[in-house]
Amino acid sequence: MAKLSDFTLDIIESSLIASAEETFSAFGRASKSPVIYEVLDYAAGLTDADGLLIAQANGVPGFLGTLDMAVQDCIKKFGKDGFSPGDICIVNIPYTSGTHLNDVNLIMPVFVQGRIVAYSAIKGHWSEVGGMHFGSWTSDSTEIYQEGLIFPPIKLFEKGKVNQAMVDMIRANVRTPDMTLGDMEAHAASLRVGAKRIEDMCKKYGVNTILEAMDRIQKKGEKLTKLRLKELPHGTFEVEDTVDDDGITDIPVPVRARITISDDEFIVDLRGSGKQARGSINCPWCATVSAARAIFKAVTDTHGPVSDGNFRALKVLADPGTIFNPIPPAPTSTYWESMAFITDLVWHALAPMIPDKLSAGHFLSVCATIVGGMDDRTKQPFAIVEPQPGGWGGALGKDGESGLVCSGDGETYIMSNEVMEVRYPIVVEQYSLNIGDGSGKGKFRGGFGIMKDYRINNSNASFTSSMGRSLYPCWGMNGGGKGTPNYFILEKANQAPRRLRKVAAESLQAHDLIRLRTGGGGGFGDPLERDPERVLNDVVDGYVTVEQAKNEYGVAIDEIQMKVNLGATKSLRNSFLSSPK
Amino acid sequence: MPVRVAIDVGGTFTDLCALNEATGEYAFVKDSTTPENYAAGVINVVRKSGIPGGEMNRFIGTGSTMVINALTERKGAKTILVTTKGFRDVLEIGRSNRTDIYNFRYEKPKPFVPRRFRYEVDERTSYKGEEMRPLIKDDVLKVAEACNRNKAEAIAIAFYNAYANPKHELECYEILKNKVKTPYISMSHELSREWREYERVNTTVLNAFVQPKVHQYLTTLELELRRLGAKIGAHVMQSNGGVATFEQGRKTPIYQVESGPIGGVIGAQAIGKAIGADVITLDVGGTTAKTSLIDSGRMKINTEYFIGRNQFFSGYPVKAPVVDIVEIGAGGGSIAWVDELGSLKVGPQSAGADPGPACQNKGGTDPTLTDAFVLTGVIDPNYFLGGEIKLRPELAEKAYREVGGKMHMKAIDAAIGAIEIATANMVNAIKLVSVRRGYDPRDFAMVAFGGGGPMFAVALAQELGIKKVVVPKVPGVFSAWGMLMTDLRHDYIRTKVVGLESSNLGELQGTLDEMKKEGTKQLESEGIKASEMRYEGFFDIRYLGQEHTIPTPVPMGVKSADSLALIRRRFHDLHFKAYTFNLNDPTEVVNIRVVAFGKVKKQPLRPSRAPRRARAKQSRMRSVYLDESGFKRVPVYSRDSIPVGAKIQGPAIIEEPTATTILKKGNLMTIDRYGNLVVEV
Repeated sequence: MAKLSDFTLDIIESSLIASAEETFSAFGRASKSPVIYEVLDYAAGLTDADGLLIAQANGVPGFLGTLDMAVQDCIKKFGKDGFSPGDICIVNIPYTSGTHLNDVNLIMPVFVQGRIVAYSAIKGHWSEVGGMHFGSWTSDSTEIYQEGLIFPPIKLFEKGKVNQAMVDMIRANVRTPDMTLGDMEAHAASLRVGAKRIEDMCKKYGVNTILEAMDRIQKKGEKLTKLRLKELPHGTFEVEDTVDDDGITDIPVPVRARITISDDEFIVDLRGSGKQARGSINCPWCATVSAARAIFKAVTDTHGPVSDGNFRALKVLADPGTIFNPIPPAPTSTYWESMAFITDLVWHALAPMIPDKLSAGHFLSVCATIVGGMDDRTKQPFAIVEPQPGGWGGALGKDGESGLVCSGDGETYIMSNEVMEVRYPIVVEQYSLNIGDGSGKGKFRGGFGIMKDYRINNSNASFTSSMGRSLYPCWGMNGGGKGTPNYFILEKANQAPRRLRKVAAESLQAHDLIRLRTGGGGGFGDPLERDPERVLNDVVDGYVTVEQAKNEYGVAIDEIQMKVNLGATKSLRNSFLSSPK
Repeated sequence: MPVRVAIDVGGTFTDLCALNEATGEYAFVKDSTTPENYAAGVINVVRKSGIPGGEMNRFIGTGSTMVINALTERKGAKTILVTTKGFRDVLEIGRSNRTDIYNFRYEKPKPFVPRRFRYEVDERTSYKGEEMRPLIKDDVLKVAEACNRNKAEAIAIAFYNAYANPKHELECYEILKNKVKTPYISMSHELSREWREYERVNTTVLNAFVQPKVHQYLTTLELELRRLGAKIGAHVMQSNGGVATFEQGRKTPIYQVESGPIGGVIGAQAIGKAIGADVITLDVGGTTAKTSLIDSGRMKINTEYFIGRNQFFSGYPVKAPVVDIVEIGAGGGSIAWVDELGSLKVGPQSAGADPGPACQNKGGTDPTLTDAFVLTGVIDPNYFLGGEIKLRPELAEKAYREVGGKMHMKAIDAAIGAIEIATANMVNAIKLVSVRRGYDPRDFAMVAFGGGGPMFAVALAQELGIKKVVVPKVPGVFSAWGMLMTDLRHDYIRTKVVGLESSNLGELQGTLDEMKKEGTKQLESEGIKASEMRYEGFFDIRYLGQEHTIPTPVPMGVKSADSLALIRRRFHDLHFKAYTFNLNDPTEVVNIRVVAFGKVKKQPLRPSRAPRRARAKQSRMRSVYLDESGFKRVPVYSRDSIPVGAKIQGPAIIEEPTATTILKKGNLMTIDRYGNLVVEV
């Protein structure tokens, strides 16, 4: 009965997603590095036998869009018949299927009755993969070789047996071998959890039913996306922006997108963006596609399950040798600084037309930091690798969110400070909203970034960070103001404080202070149209000063009664309107 | 004539179950819940039961519905938060995750205390519990003024690193309590001694937010019970599966969150014990289905609980042990609908009791699961709630015709589809508590209750390979019955990160002893005799370098290397069960937990003997759709006419006033010696 198989399809699809989720949670729980178990900087998914995505667990959206390409890379190298049960491949090459070298893919073919029915894939951020500095990714590299070990597709496990030569190589080339290899083990074990579930499903429903379901899941995604494409504004939209620098010098990098939407296609043409950069801000091709997929999914089907079908109408164009399609040996280790712009350019171009789906611009950068070194207490190496949260844009009907991870991150958690203090030799002196730097004003204002101060409580430590959107803050929309920049301040003994946007392996001593500051989001709509009561509430909550209320919003607040002076507000706003700023 | 009384205050109904300890007889009363004053509804069912207050020897109530409603409707106390300088916004920043990853207009959980009511005081404790900066008294005095100026109704004190040493919180409390007008002050360390500042501060704030309401409810109820002549101290259900005195319940009301459905889990535990099986529970009510798993006779406790969390919203963390129950939007009132791709969906929207299913003709026009069961002939329209409500099948038909039309399906096929989808959703929920936690459902019996549980039970059991389904007596008020079985229970937790090594034995034992002492004191204050006290110890253990821990049962005395070896072995086994691998690494303890139980005398389930000739009388035949073979005429039995020991072969329908049980072809049903309906699937 046709309708029954529809129901069965729903059930199989839920079960496939559940097995991806199970794989995901197994990795988090078994892992030994905080960037995995606390931050959840990884993603898990399943593809069909051709390497096309059929299900994923919600993790880091920037990673999710790359999983299928990593599987395809492995199939390309070994051939469809080149695998045996128990094989697990490792791959992290940025140019064909990766992001930066820390992000390692492990891929396992799932065999049922002698044939491959699916691949289970996890891409996770390994804390240390060698390279020029502790933590591997860095903001001062000029060649990929400085950023750690490159794994072309290699069989890390063959027929269930680990490739000991590979393990020995890894052990000899990374700074935290126990943590790195512990993660490798957890990474592989979690893949087996997901694979087992698919085997069970095949047993229950029959292999052919499962294969048919995989095909129909993709067709369903394709059909839904086509429906949604029809609802989007059609035409060609152009937008440009600027990346702060090329990673090494202070020369900014222009980025451009031309988006063409029709009933059948959604083309993101990035040609005309800057040449590939000297420094590590290059976004490898696969990450470029992934970033485009994230925004495409956001505007076509925000909540539905994800499969390859969802992305068939999407075309991405970028010339080789540019920042969005670099060629070897371009460094890519702070790739998010340009990758985030791909999502943002499309977002920026479409937001005014679909304000019910998209807010004004947000702080954008992962604002990643590494504090690392040798812990005096334990004589063991430590590495705190984190993204930092920031302010999001105001939107139709709501103010922006404060202290939220960027669009490239998703179900990603900021570490607990209390946990950090036990685990690492630092003292967190402050963790609050960065209200002082403000946010984009507007009818609905931007949210705020954060302030986090780390005091080094160890004889020495090193600090690496890259905070984009430090010189060119995010955009407001429909008359809303711009956001505010991301940066950090280093306060070292006997030195004047330095305000910076990136630093690589800066050496710090006991009592030195790292002050992280992320920016506020852009505003939505004319600030003079903001409901005076909202402005008053912001004043009472301390988000906005009485001065700002007056000068930016044209709202006069009676400070004694803590009320809006309606008469004075009216004349203030009138005077603003008659004398353009 | 000592009578034990349990009352489950649900969203729609307040259920009473009473046990006469002398005769072993039970009484049941069901009446409407009274949301304006929950205590009134409770007293109402007590009055209706006719039990004289003076004869009550035990009283257990629930506050769960009130806590959940106050939180979801945000109708709680005006709360002021006092926290450490530099950390005012922790409550607002949270953990910064974007659960709805493709939503670029995401909204975070809005804090329960707005920024204007979050005050900082200068003080600082180190992660080791040492004082880094003393508490500045003047700062606290300023906060006290602010509390009074703002007419604060409750205060939450939550300091950074207070889990390691609560000294400053206590100092702050001592200053505030004499200066502020509100008597409601919550301290973070009283609720949780675990690290993670956001989770702890949020728990404290939620506790404060609901405290005045719950306090008033319990106080009113206590007074009313006294008026009825009750002379005993009353208890309230906790989400950890135990009960607390009203006194404790007033202090830590957030612990009552999610305590509503737990009575059923406890009842199922008792049944499991009687029949000698571990069980998976299935509780299907009006709006949701709840499921939970009992392993080796124990309920599973979840220590990572969030209020309102779902696929698209990160929710609010509560650091309180909560019985691990998975709840999904599939109950009798859940609505069937068609999404834009033409797929049939069920829930989470529910017609609830008002306007109710279409067939009830109370204004509801959406097709619900109850309507679907009327159309498939499972529910007799003339015997709903024992015939109290007459149902109109033609209205159910109309509702399903509409939804079926969107899929070019007949009404009946849409109804069958809705039941199948709800069943599939329940299968996934049960998998969450079983398969996903490393349990094979085939090793369990299913205990099905709530108005809807018995209709779904056999289909679910078949799907999951469960071989035995048990439907207890009076499944509609089973939760209240289960509450009669509860012990007093208090959970204590300390974060203490130390290696699982002989050199740390002293510290581990010392902490266990200290926590046990705390438990003893608490139980003594509740009038429990030493001989009725029992303790369970757990260490949350992990491999060195991991973050996530596994609660591992430990003896209360860990004095030797032998006991360490035993604990390590247990940990390895549990780790393998959860994650399919072990590491050859050192292990460390992160938290030490002690659970203190005050045993309450239980009425054993009394077996009765089967009559010599046990045969069920079939009442009539009815045309019912049970599987793909289509509508078939099947016998219908009235449950109370089936004697103990009688056997019934499926297909058949067993009716009783609050529930309907489906038997499919090949099922064999008996009534066991405890009066349970037992189906061999």
